[in-house]
Amino acid sequence: MNRGMVLARGSLLSLLIVSGLSGCSSVQPWEKQNLAKPEMTFEGDRLDTGYTEHIYSSKEASSGGAGVGGGGCGCN
Amino acid sequence: MDTVPVKISNRKSRVLGALLASAAMLLPSVKNALADAAPEQGIVSMKYLNYHDSQTGDTDLTAGMSRNRMTVNALSFMGMVPIAGKWSVAGTFIEDSVTGASPAYHGSGFPANTSSGASGDLRHAGDLNVTRYFSRGTLTLGTSYSQETDYKSLGCSLNGTLSTENNNTTFSLGAAWNRDTIDLSRPNVVKSKKSDTSGKKRVLSGLLGVTRVISQNDIIQTTVTLTDGDGYYSDPYKYPDVRPDKRRMFTFMARWNHHFDGPNGTARFSYRYYSDTFGIRGHTFDAEYVQPLPNGWEITPLVRYYSQSAADFYVPVGDAEFADPAHYTLPPAGAEHYTEDQRLSAFGAFSYGIKVRKELGRSWLADVKYEHSEQRNNRGINGLGDPGIPTFNMSAIQVGLSRKF
Repeated sequence: MNRGMVLARGSLLSLLIVSGLSGCSSVQPWEKQNLAKPEMTFEGDRLDTGYTEHIYSSKEASSGGAGVGGGGCGCN
Repeated sequence: MDTVPVKISNRKSRVLGALLASAAMLLPSVKNALADAAPEQGIVSMKYLNYHDSQTGDTDLTAGMSRNRMTVNALSFMGMVPIAGKWSVAGTFIEDSVTGASPAYHGSGFPANTSSGASGDLRHAGDLNVTRYFSRGTLTLGTSYSQETDYKSLGCSLNGTLSTENNNTTFSLGAAWNRDTIDLSRPNVVKSKKSDTSGKKRVLSGLLGVTRVISQNDIIQTTVTLTDGDGYYSDPYKYPDVRPDKRRMFTFMARWNHHFDGPNGTARFSYRYYSDTFGIRGHTFDAEYVQPLPNGWEITPLVRYYSQSAADFYVPVGDAEFADPAHYTLPPAGAEHYTEDQRLSAFGAFSYGIKVRKELGRSWLADVKYEHSEQRNNRGINGLGDPGIPTFNMSAIQVGLSRKF
């Protein structure tokens, strides 16, 4: 099995593990006040994230991971 | 005789349930815990960026290579408007100007005309996203555009989320398409790459993700992204540099946010694994801690570590170039693909930064962020890099202002 297949299967397995963590807890709606804070979401400051991702992706070979979409750039 | 206590118990239970439900409704955005509820407020933001990078020849092999490289000044705007409680429209626009130059090979070969390099002088980019919110999910259609003097990119995307009934698990699915065009007729393009026919590149991406509430204070997310690129991947301003015209990329990302009740702060961690068919493997670790302070202040220190291996076709600095950096290293005889781009060499980078935010009244928010990063050829966990590459430093300052309405 090549390395790509191992990685793909490992990643899919981790997705399944995360989605299967329902047995760990069942958080009720009235217990989510901390989860509802802006800093607990994964979106963050959109313009800050845009600048930061653009800087690193233009100076490093790695890119992406947090989402898909957005324009390409001649800098990379 | 036993029926009375049971009835009382049921009534108590209903009353308790109603009280808890009322309490949940009073929480400002409790249903937004997984961020798939329609926004109740619009927002407009603007942010200024000043970016500067430089290289430092701080070893015997890179002595004399210290110099400034590029400076970027950028201004960006963002707006998001909720519509009828079921829709939102969001858009961003950015203009940035670039001065300075990047090296043609390794840490040398800077053009005499310092406004050249891989980037154009002025770039305009924007995107527009329309989102429809459903009771247990979202659907977002997006489009993006970016234009420089020598580069144009068009893209569109479709992203969807679906949550379980208790809203503790959200599945994400996304796809994106991009079409890039590179002008190869410009004066600074390397002679061997000059052409009246533009270079084209088509990029397709797909994403699969799961976000899961683990406890009242923990939420995690994992995503897998596959990207398939086909077209012009070489850099028109670098030599010697001929890259494959296909690049398949794989990214796995895991993120974890934890809230601390005592200080009311939030720690945010992320790890990203990256690999591609150029032979590059990368690891990225991010950590930041968000601490609210009295009077609407908030402070966020952050650290980041990154490491990558070299591309299979990367050519390290040779003896002749060590002796005289004006002479680039010849690629191996018969090699089909080769590059001497520092960004495709092996290195490790450590970054640190701090962000400070201040609420100004109920609607306004101001923020300032500083971040510094240093890349070194001997700092990676993917093996030693090229000792002929100088240390690379970059610093960025952001100043932003936003208003909710």
